[in-house]
Parts: sequence; C-alpha cells; structure tokens
Amino acid sequence: MGPAEPVAQSRTRLVLLAGFGGLLALMAVGGFDAIQVLRQIQSRNVQIRQVFLTRNRALEHIRSSLYLSGTVVRDYLLDPELAGAADELGRLRTLRSEMASAMDAYGRSLTAGEAEPVQALQAGLTAYWDGLEPALRWSPQQRRRQGYAFVQRVLLPRRAAVLDLADRIAALNEKELNGGDERLEEMFGRFRRRLLVMLAATLSMGLVLAAVAASHILRLERQSAARYQLVMRAQNELKELSARLVKAQEEERRAISRELHDEVGQSLSALLMELGNLAAVVPRNLEPLQRHLESIRKLAESSVQVARNMSLLLRPSMLDDFGLVPALEWQARESSKRTGMAVSVEADEVSDNLPDDHNTCVYRVVQEALHNCARHAQAHSVRIRVRQTSRHILLSIQDDGRGFDARRVRGLGLVGMEERVQHLGGSFQVKSEPGRGTVLEVELPVPKELAAERAPEVQNA
Amino acid sequence: MPETATRPIRILLADDHTVMRNGLRLLLERQPNLEVVGEASDGRETVRLAESVAPDVVVLDIAMPNLNGIEAARQITASRPEAAIVILSMHSDESYVIRALKAGARAYLLKDSAEGDLIAAIHAISEGKSFFSPAISRILVEDYMRQLEQKHVEDTYELLTAREREILQLLAEGKTNKEVAAVLNLSVYTVETHRTHILQKLNLHNVPELILYAVRKGIIT
Ligand SMILES: Nc1ncnc2c1ncn2[C@@H]1O[C@H](COP(=O)(O)OP(=O)(O)OP(=O)(O)O)[C@@H](O)[C@H]1O
Ligand SMILES: [Mg+2]
Repeated sequence: MGPAEPVAQSRTRLVLLAGFGGLLALMAVGGFDAIQVLRQIQSRNVQIRQVFLTRNRALEHIRSSLYLSGTVVRDYLLDPELAGAADELGRLRTLRSEMASAMDAYGRSLTAGEAEPVQALQAGLTAYWDGLEPALRWSPQQRRRQGYAFVQRVLLPRRAAVLDLADRIAALNEKELNGGDERLEEMFGRFRRRLLVMLAATLSMGLVLAAVAASHILRLERQSAARYQLVMRAQNELKELSARLVKAQEEERRAISRELHDEVGQSLSALLMELGNLAAVVPRNLEPLQRHLESIRKLAESSVQVARNMSLLLRPSMLDDFGLVPALEWQARESSKRTGMAVSVEADEVSDNLPDDHNTCVYRVVQEALHNCARHAQAHSVRIRVRQTSRHILLSIQDDGRGFDARRVRGLGLVGMEERVQHLGGSFQVKSEPGRGTVLEVELPVPKELAAERAPEVQNA
Repeated sequence: MPETATRPIRILLADDHTVMRNGLRLLLERQPNLEVVGEASDGRETVRLAESVAPDVVVLDIAMPNLNGIEAARQITASRPEAAIVILSMHSDESYVIRALKAGARAYLLKDSAEGDLIAAIHAISEGKSFFSPAISRILVEDYMRQLEQKHVEDTYELLTAREREILQLLAEGKTNKEVAAVLNLSVYTVETHRTHILQKLNLHNVPELILYAVRKGIIT
C-alpha cells in the first residue's frame, strides 16, 4: 500500500486492457477471416459447377448435332429423290458451324490434361466433316450406288469415333468436376483447421485473461478484506481508547471531587473552627486583630463554598453515596437554579445500587442533555424520567424547546453520549424536529446479578 | 425542659479528621455545661462508644471509614434512642439531610458553620428540638420556593387548618405526640388524627419528611 499502489493499479489496468483488447481483436479478425474464406469457397463452388454445366451443355450440343448431321446425311444419300436436297445441305452447314462454335467455347477454358483430347475431338470433327464433304457433292446416281455403302463404312464409323471422343471428354469433364469438389473439400479442411487454431488461440487467451483477472480480483478482495479488518481494529481500538479515556477522566473527577470535599473542605472547616477558638481567646478589645480574624473567616468560608461547589460539579458525592436518583435530583435543582428551566426528575423503581458504570453513564448523559437544553433548546421545562425493569434502565430526557433536525445534526456532545451508552451495550436515540422539542431515549441493559450485588455505602476518601 | 445546671451535657465526638475533632473539643470545652466524654474516628467505634459512655449527644460526621455516619446514627438510634444525634458534615445536599433525619438525627450542621451553630444545636436537640444550619435551611427553602414557582402548583401548606399548622410546627420541632397533646391540651388520639391528616395533605410519609418540609417552608430553622 502507500505510494506503490497507483503504479500497481495502472499496470493491472494496462494488462487487463491489453488482454481484453487482444481477445476482442483476435475474435474480430478470426470472424472476418472465416467469412472471407467461406465466401471464397462458395464462389469457387459456384464457378466449378457453372463451368461443368456449360461444358456439358456444349458437349451435349455437339453430340446431338452429330446425331442430327448423321441422320441428315443418311437421308440425303439414301433418298436421292429427296425434295429439298438443297435445304438438307444448308442444314448440314449450319450444324457444322454450330458445332464449331460449341467446340470453340469448350476450348476456351481448358486445363492441362484436357487440351490433348479436346484437340483430338476437334481433329476428329474436322475429319468427320471433311470425310462427308465429297459424298455431299455426289450426283443422285452416285448416291444411289454408293450411298448405302458410304453410310455403313464411312459415316457411321466416323460418327462413332467422334462420339467416343466426346464421351472421353465428358468423362474428363466429370473428372474435372470431381477434382473441383476435392479441391473444395481441401479448402474446407484448411478452413476448419484455421478455425480450430483460431478458436484454440482465442480460448487460451481468454483462459489466461480470466486467470489473470480472477487472481487480480482475488488479490484485491484479500487486500480489501485485510484493510477492512485493519480499519475495524483501528476503530475498535479507538473506541476502547476513548472509553478508557472517559473512564480515566471519570476517575480523575471522582478523586479530585473527593479531595476537594473531604480534604480541602474539611481542612478549611477545621481552620474556621480554630479561628473561632482563637477569636474566643483574643481579648475583645484588640480591635485590629479581631477584624483580621473576621476577614480570614470570611475568606475561609467562601473558600469552603467554592470547594464544595467545584466538588459537586466535578462529580456529585450523592452518586457514589446514595446512587443515581439523588444525584439526578441534585442536578435538576442545580440546573434549574442556574438556567431558570423547570427541571423535573421522575424515578420509578430505580435501585440505589446500580453498577458504578451505569450510574456514571446515566448521570453524564443527563448532564450533557441538560447542558444542551440550556444552550440550544430555549426550553421552559425539561422532564427526566428513569425507570428500571428487570433487564434495563430506561432513561428519557424530554424538553419543550425548539428542537432540531436530529438526523443531520450531531456534535461532540451527542456523539459522546451515544458512545458512553454503546460502551455499556445500550441504545441511544434522539427524537427531535424543529419546533417540536427534543426527546433523548436511552436503554441500558443491566446484568441481573450486578443489580443485586452491592449494598449502598457512604465511602470515605 | 433544660437540663439541671449542675449536670453537664455529655457529648461523644465522632470524626475521622483529627484536626476537626481537636477544634471541636476545644470549642465545646470552652462552654461551661458541655462535656466531651469520648472521641471516635470511625463509625463502628462510635457505635461502640455510644453504648459504653452513654452520651446525651452524639456529634457525628457522615464520611467516616468502616461505617458511615448515617448508618452509625441508625444503629445508635436503635440501641440508645435517648442519645440525641447531630450530624456535622461537609455535605449540603438535601439527600444527605433527609437520610440523616430518617436515620434518627435531630440536627444537621455544615462543618463550616459548626463554630457558630454547634453549641446552639446541641442545646436544641438535648431539649428535644431540631436544628439545622442556616445555610442548609436557606438552600432547602430556596429550592422549594423555586419548585413551587416553576410548577405553578398550589402550595399545599394552604390546605392546612390553623390547628394543623400549630401541630405541624410542634412535631417538626421534635415533640412527640404526647408532648404536643400536653402543650395544646388535646388528647393524644386527636393529635395522632391531626398528624395523619397533615401528612396526607402534604403528601408526606413520615416525621423526617415532615421535618424537612418544615425546614423548606421556613417553619423551623
Ligand atoms: N435539546 C436540544 N434542543 C435543540 N437543539 C439541540 C438540542 N440538543 C442538541 N441540539 C442541536 O444539536 C447540535 C449538536 O449537539 P451536541 O451536544 O452534539 O453538540 P454541541 O452542544 O453543539 O457541542 P458540545 O456539546 O460538544 O459542546 C447542537 O449544536 C444543537 O444545534
Ligand atoms: Mg452539547
């Protein structure tokens, strides 16, 4: 603790910030990357399928055109009286150019393994058409004579050869598709691994962070618990100290009060007596001496009075000699005499041998309360009530003064009263509102055995 | 009923303060018809001496070791009721006065006024009367007057009849019912009835309280 604390605090803050920031960044990057890869895979997939379909369509086209052209040529050769022979030839030409453009389209996107069979197909096609070409220029007689044989020997085998080529290419295309799928699969695999790594990194970082944060929090908790205990101990020590001080002060007051009353007062009284004895033996006619004796007597008398008053104000002897109630009654009279307030004491069943601490506590609380009534309350009358039950002493001090906001205002006087009461395990309450007077209520527990223990006795100094 | 001039009043002095005791002895022995027959410095010794030397008057301090003066007064009153007790104390509070009266003391003096008052007090109590230091009377009267004033209550003394007031004074001076009956020429029974009424009207419970009341009212001093 002390000056090192802010440094440690800023360091842990930095660590936590970096930890959480890093974790969040990692998660964001991972997520972004995953989306990117997924998009790639998807477009790749679409592309592969598109290529396959386009090529397949081209091949189908070639194949169907091939069949169609075969049929057209056969019809042309085997049926010399064909009405629209010229039309047939036109159709053939169209078919050829269509096939060529389909072939062109196919040839545009080729992988290395495909080039050779595609070229072979192209060559086959060219050969096919070139083989047909002479027969198309035949006269009807030629066609009738050699038509059938041409169809059997040239057309069908060539067509079969070209179809074979087309089949091979179709197989290749299929293979290409499968290969694409495999590559996709591979990409997926890579993606999965990456995701796993990412996840592992995020998780472990999160774990580390959680551990750091948890240990930090635990440390903080331990520290605050230790500090709380420290504060509590200090507070208790302070309370104990203040109680001891109060007790010591009380003892001091008691001792001085006794000393004043019994020693100073008695000595002065004895002095007065001796003065009287002296005056009796000094002849009446020694005027100056008698005058001096008289003034000494006056002085001693007023000194006795001072000693008596001081003694009572410090701690009235009634408290120790007769118990609480006579002391309270004296105080009420005294306060009344000094301030003009009507102070009444109503005591009910209060035993005269309460523990000394209780007597002192109640007496001092009443003293302080009367002090407040005189100083702050502008009260006309104060009512002090003391009652003893089997377990408690109940005290209330009620004035009809101007009151105050008891929830807000607290001075040393009230705090001191409360401390005295709490030290004996009692409760202390102030009930007051501006304009409504004030009631102090005290409840002190009395140990039963203590209440019956001591007998009242007038003590001597 | 003054004692015969030939027989001096026998006095027992009880105080733990030697200087005080010596001063008192000096003061008393200057008087022609007073005789100090014993001195005690604690409560028990006082009670013992009160038995053995049979004093007419015991001058008792309150704060004494072993047994305080009030307890000693109680025991002496019980064992030798004929001994009149005057309390001589530093304490001026009424709680001491009332307790001393209840314990059987007839007079209460402050030590600082002993020199002037003790002789008079001894004579008064040996005649069966009460006596209080003027300082004490003054304190009691003032307190009482202030209480009446502050509480705005009716003075209960006004409730008493003239006869009752007469009887109150005699009782407070220390006379017994029989003596009062003799003085007023009434029957003891009538006096007793009056006494009961007086205590009721004044809300008092016993003679010591009645004496204290009388002092407060300034009826006796
Ligand atoms: N009976 C009362 N009537 C009206 N106000 C009161 C009364 N008692 C206390 N107070 C108010 O509460 C405040 C605190 O009182 P408290 O006795 O604690 O301190 P204090 O009297 O001001 O100072 P101290 O008692 O230490 O000399 C007072 O200043 C006063 O304003
Ligand atoms: Mg105060």
